[in-house]
Order: sequence, then structure tokens, then C-alpha cells
Amino acid sequence: MSEVIVTGTGVVSPAGLGTEPLWSAMAAGRSFFDSDGPLPWPVAAVDRGTVGWPPGKPWVDNRKYANLAAYWAVEAARLALRQAGRDPDAPDHPGWGDPERGGTVMAVGSTGDELGDVMPRLAGMALDDPRPLATLLYEEVPDYSYIRGIPSQLGQFVCMTTGFRGSNVAAYGEVAAGGLGALALALRLLESGELERVLVVGVAPPSSVTALASFDRDEPIGTEAVPGRGPFDEDRAGPLLGQGAAAVLLERAAPADAPAPRALARLLACETVVAADRASATGLAVRAALRRSGGRPDLWWAHGSGSQTADREECSAVLPQVGAVPVTSSKGTLGLATECSALIDTALAVESLRRGQLPPVGLLRRPDPRLGGPDTVTGTARPVPGLGTALITGVDHGRGTASAGALVLGGVTGAPGDHHARREEEQ
Amino acid sequence: MTDDDIVITGMGVVTPIGATVEDFWEANLAGRSGVVAETRMDLGGLPCGWAAGLIPDDVRKEVAERWGGPDRTWGDTLLHCVVDQALGDAGITGPIGGEAAGLVWSRVWPGPSGSFPQDYAVHFRELGERYRRIGNDPAVVLENLRNRRLSAEASDHSAFPVELAGRLGVPLIASRVEATCSGGLRSIAEAVRLLRLGRVEVAVVAVSVSRNTQYVLSQYGQLMALSRWKGDPAHSSMPFDRRRSGMVINESAGALVLETAAHAARRGVTETHAVVGGWGLAVDTTHITAPQVGMVERVMRTAIAGSGLTPDDIDTVNAHGTSTKLNDITEARALHRVFGERTAELDVCAVKSLTGHGSAASGVVETVAAALTLGRGVIPPVVTCTEPDPACAVKTSLTPVERPVSTVLKNSFGFGGQYASMVFRRPERPRPAPVR
Repeated sequence: MSEVIVTGTGVVSPAGLGTEPLWSAMAAGRSFFDSDGPLPWPVAAVDRGTVGWPPGKPWVDNRKYANLAAYWAVEAARLALRQAGRDPDAPDHPGWGDPERGGTVMAVGSTGDELGDVMPRLAGMALDDPRPLATLLYEEVPDYSYIRGIPSQLGQFVCMTTGFRGSNVAAYGEVAAGGLGALALALRLLESGELERVLVVGVAPPSSVTALASFDRDEPIGTEAVPGRGPFDEDRAGPLLGQGAAAVLLERAAPADAPAPRALARLLACETVVAADRASATGLAVRAALRRSGGRPDLWWAHGSGSQTADREECSAVLPQVGAVPVTSSKGTLGLATECSALIDTALAVESLRRGQLPPVGLLRRPDPRLGGPDTVTGTARPVPGLGTALITGVDHGRGTASAGALVLGGVTGAPGDHHARREEEQ
Repeated sequence: MTDDDIVITGMGVVTPIGATVEDFWEANLAGRSGVVAETRMDLGGLPCGWAAGLIPDDVRKEVAERWGGPDRTWGDTLLHCVVDQALGDAGITGPIGGEAAGLVWSRVWPGPSGSFPQDYAVHFRELGERYRRIGNDPAVVLENLRNRRLSAEASDHSAFPVELAGRLGVPLIASRVEATCSGGLRSIAEAVRLLRLGRVEVAVVAVSVSRNTQYVLSQYGQLMALSRWKGDPAHSSMPFDRRRSGMVINESAGALVLETAAHAARRGVTETHAVVGGWGLAVDTTHITAPQVGMVERVMRTAIAGSGLTPDDIDTVNAHGTSTKLNDITEARALHRVFGERTAELDVCAVKSLTGHGSAASGVVETVAAALTLGRGVIPPVVTCTEPDPACAVKTSLTPVERPVSTVLKNSFGFGGQYASMVFRRPERPRPAPVR
């Protein structure tokens, strides 16, 4: 079992900024899908007007290198820092530990629509343009576009606001399994003693039409966001699309370079596995995570993509290992935000442990009897033990994929000896 | 060497100068360049970037025929090729047993049309024709895409991890990582971490990069990062030479098999390529692209200290050496800070002088060179550094330097403030060169 704690979470979602508004919206049974877009797939979209860019010279100077994903990633990071009691505008505060002992792990994909409005127009222009193609692109593509599209570039912006200069790496692709892969990588950085704290940030900006078409072929995307189309419903018809960013700040419970931080939850284990198929990978990841965390969980925050196949595979792999525990999924509320979704679910699960309540599955009307009887939360939030443990699962998208991950969180009490209390005793 | 040491037991490469480890090494020692004029596309209007490190056509054809497949991207094809070599070199021919193996891999996404300029040209023309015909309305574009074949690159999906899991007969704890041009060393560090934490006993590192398209060249051109050398293309990449004018991007791939010494011994493998020492990783937040002397110094010092060594223990440096004005002077100044007066006698090699720069793949490919330096006792020359820059004042050689080498310091840096440095040690029983 690891000695790593969660000290802050931040979410940029269709519910606005912060983990709490999203959790509350989910608890209230809200869904955020908009079916009025140009594509056949409803999307739970982030209101771009809610996200700003930090003030100050270095931020203004470097804004030219930032794309929409960078804006969202930085915002989520700053929210997580604030929850952890850190001032994102003063990243080098001396009481917050050695900057070289902090790091960043990004969870990102390559499906963003960086130049979706630019390249088709340039391509049309190129048909009559005498310039060689490379010359045309050299002269016409907006400056810094290439750099803006580099995944770990987002991480450098995150490092600017955290002040963490120990390392920066992106875990790339594989949808929710990739998000858990980023958390697993961060956990290893902490367990190895190389770093004392790591901010893990996932970001899922709008995808290009080509990427969505490809996703849809891999495993059909849902076209209706109405009751009955949510995860685990017998009439579910494919994952619904989401967007967002989420940040989870992980710290060693007893860092060598700073006072013990205040814990929101304990991160007991996180595993990702590639196996012969998605169901096998899910089963193996859950088995490994539960073995490391010490037993069955008290609740299960499922991936619950809403795909007929994926939900069946997930339930068949997980239920035999967890037994009768309450289950929820966020996908009926805010959709599948690709690599970011596992980070969002982790933030929401932390909030559930803090509140001692598990919010219901959005758009779930009739639980599918063929799934083996998951105890899905419906209607209103259900009380769960705040001191319990939460299993979070995440899988890749696509019928031919074979990646999955599992993470186990433990609640904290604030009682003497607990990480929460330790911080308060020090103060 | 202890049972806990992490050793390199298998290596594989595909590079512009060799598609096997031995061919690659032979070319390194012979100073044979793989940098050629990029004739597959018209680059005449760019202020730079007419040369590229390209995998020769006959090699490309052979690799594609043996490791390619109808739905397999060229990047994945390269990964399979180098992993096949590395596993064979490690003596792993079937299921490896155990509960799981590790995989840390990277494949730079070349864009939705794939790795080749001819495909990009077709893609761009079709995109233009579509734009003329139907505009850019998402719904109309989506309708247009129906019933069309979408390349595997469209969603950047890769079956490589699951295919490798099948081949090794165990589940994989796998991470696909990206850390710009330090991504190769970063991948090695993550694999070693898996091994040192006891999560696995064998781990594969594999990185492939192939993205020489008009778009990528044009964007590196915008950054003024590419060589402007107008002489013999083979001299376009000239690390630490006073005439250097930029880097040459290449396509390449590399793979390593890493395992605990104890696991290797249980398999009967006692002769290994190298022992992985410590590393230093860092991110700089003061500039997006420009390297900083202090950061380079920091990661080198961390790597040396983490290996239980002092700068005096380092026998040679396998430099990042990109051939850009700023990188090489920055790296050189940092070497002077770390090694002081020893710098004048410290042999430095720069593999990119012959191969060009393969981004994340370079870290793995150059680690192969570092391992062979340890095992064979030869430091490759930097044959394009014929007029050493006195401002850099590092010791490169135009001919191979033969002498025992116990330790190599390997550097890799990248855009986005990425810095990595790693130490490799000679094993007690180095793998001897094969009889050819």
C-alpha cells in the first residue's frame, strides 16, 4: 500500500470550475449534453468563456505558445493547487518544498483540433498556389502551431503555475486507461522517492471531425443523450462525448522537504494493464490494484462508457472481484472526456469519500439485467462510508483495444494520527 | 554488479546509418553519414531543411515487407522491427513467464496522413479539393468521411502494446510517454523505475519517430531550428563545429530489453551490454525552446551523483549534440561547469553528426551507441566536426578513440524545457562483439 495522498483536485467541466460543482450537479441528476451541434453526437461541452489565462508577464509572454488545451490544463492545475492550500501565483513560496522534488504528468491524446479551421482553407488555397507545399505551409501556418500541439508542452505551462521543476512527462493516448496510466506513472515517481509531489493533469479539448469519425468506427459513439442512454442501461447505445480538464495533486504523506500536507484521500494503489483483450486487462488491473490496497472496496466508481460491449466487459471483469458494492459512473452526466475522464472520476471519487455519498448514474433508467447485477446508484446520492475505499476503473475505447486501469482511494478521517489531523496539529 | 542492478540485455535499431545494431555501430566507427538531400519534396523555398536523415529505400522496403501490415502504421512497423531485434539479442524467443512485463514506449504522431511526404501531399490535395467542394462545415465533412477508409493514424490508435503482450505471453504494465526530445532517456528511466520497484523483472523500451512531411519540415523551418548548410548534405549536422547552423531531423527507432541482473542470470544471460546507473530529469519554466546551461548542468550532476560517482569517474560523454548554435554551446558550457579542466581531455561523441536528430528515438538509439562504447572500448568519432568551435572547446575526434571505458554520461534535451541525463556503466562481463 502506498504512502501517497491526494491533496488537491481541480476540474474544468461543463458544470464550470471546480470538483464540487460537478459533483453536486451529478448528485442532482443533471446531464450536460447539447444535441444542437453540427454532428450527430451530443457533446457535454465546456463553456470556453469560463476559463481564463493567468495574469503577469511570463504568462502574457508565453500565451502565443498556448492552445485551448493549455488554457484548460492550467486552469485545472490552479484549482487543484488552491484546494491544496498553495497559491498558484506564488509557485516558489519557500514553505512548499523543494521545486526540484515536484513534477508534472500529463494525460493527453492526439485527437485535438489544433488547426481544424486553418488547414482546410490552406489546402484549398494550395490547389492554385504556385508555391511548393512546404513553402506555403512555412509562410501561412500560424507561428508556433507545431509547438502548441506537443503534449508535454502543456506540462511546461502547468509547471509554470506549480513551480514544480523536477520533471515533466506526458502519458499519451488510450483514453481512460491512459488517464489512469498517468496516475500510475506519478505514483511510481513518488513511491521510488524521486519526487515528493506530482501534479497529474488530464485534458480533453474538442476533437477533430476525423478523429471522431475514427472513434465512431472503432466503437460507435452515442447519438442520443436522453434517459435510457446512460451507462449500464439496457438501452445504452454508445459512449457520449465529453470535454474537460482535471488535475489531481499527489504528495508523499510525509515529505522530506516540507511539513506533512493535508490529505483529502489516500491513494492506495493504481495499476494499468495491457492484456489479450479489454475484459482481461480490466480484470487483471483490478486484481492487482485490490491486492496492493488490501482488499475489496466499499464503492466502485466505474468507467461505464455506455457502450453495450464495454459495459458488459467491465462488469464481467470487476463484479466478481468487488461483490455487492454501490456503483456509479460519470459518463451519463458529462460524457467520455477521453484521457481526462479518469482524472475527473478520481476527483469526483475523492469528493464522494469526503462527503460520504455516492452520486447517481446519469441517464440510467433501466439497469441492464445482463450485466450481472451491479448495484448501480440511481435517483439520488447514496450514503457510503467516508472512511471506506473507492475503486475507480478506466478502459480504452474501441472494440479491439486491450488497455485498462484501476485505482483505489482510501478515505481520511481527520482523527488523530490521520494525515488530515497531522497537518492541523502542526498548525 | 549486484542482483539488483538493471542491465541492458537486448538492443535493436533502425537508423539512417544501419538497420541492425552491428551495421549501425560499424557506420558510427567509419563515420558514414545517413544524412542526404531530401528529394522527396520541394523544400527550396524554406530558409533551411533541405537535408534529412532518411532510412534508405531498400531498408525501408525490407522492413515494411517483414514487419509491416495492412493496418499497421509505419511507426508501429518500426517498433516491431526494433523490438524483434532487441528480444532476439536478449535471447527471448518466446513467452517469458512471470506475472507481467514492462513496456515503456513512444511513437511520435506524424499527423493523420502518416509519416511520408508523398502521402501528406495526397492528403493535402484531397483536403483542398474537399474544401473547395463542400467547405469546412463539420456535418458535411463527416458525411464526406463516411465510407472512406480512415488511416490508422486518424485516431493515433496502436495495436503495438497488445501485440507485444501476446508475443511475450504475459500482460504488460505499459506506458506510452512523450517528453519531446528527451523522451528516449525518459522512457528508459520509467522502465528502470518499474524494475527497481519490483513491479516487473523484464521491461522493453521502444521508440520510433518518422514524421518527415512537408508540414513538419515547414514548422521546424519556422523555428529556424534546421541546418542551413549548403555543401555536402552529409556534413549538414556538425555538432560542436563552428560552422554548425542547425539540426537535421531524421527517422529512426530503437529498442532495449532491460531486466534485473538476477533475472538475466536466471535465464543464463551473464554477458550484458550495460548497467543503468542514475539519471537526472528536470523541467525549465523560463523558456519554451531555448536550453539553459544551469539546467543541463543540474541534470548531469544529478545523474552522476545518483550513480554514486563523481565527475572524475565519467570516462566519456555521449552528447545531445544537435548541431544547433544554441544547444551545442549550452551543452558545452555545462560540460565545462561539471568537468572543469577535465573537459579538455574528456572524449565527447555526438551520434547525430551521422544520423541526424530523431527526437525521442535519439535517446534510445544513442544509448545503444553508449552501451557499445562500454562493451567494445571505442568512442565513435564526430567526423563532421572538422573545425571545432573554440567557444565550445569540447574534445571530439575525427577517428574512433579506442580505450577502456567504464562509464558513459548520456544527455538528451528537448523543447518545452525538457532535460535528461543518464549514466551507464560497463558490466563485469560485457557482451562481446559477434563474429562477422
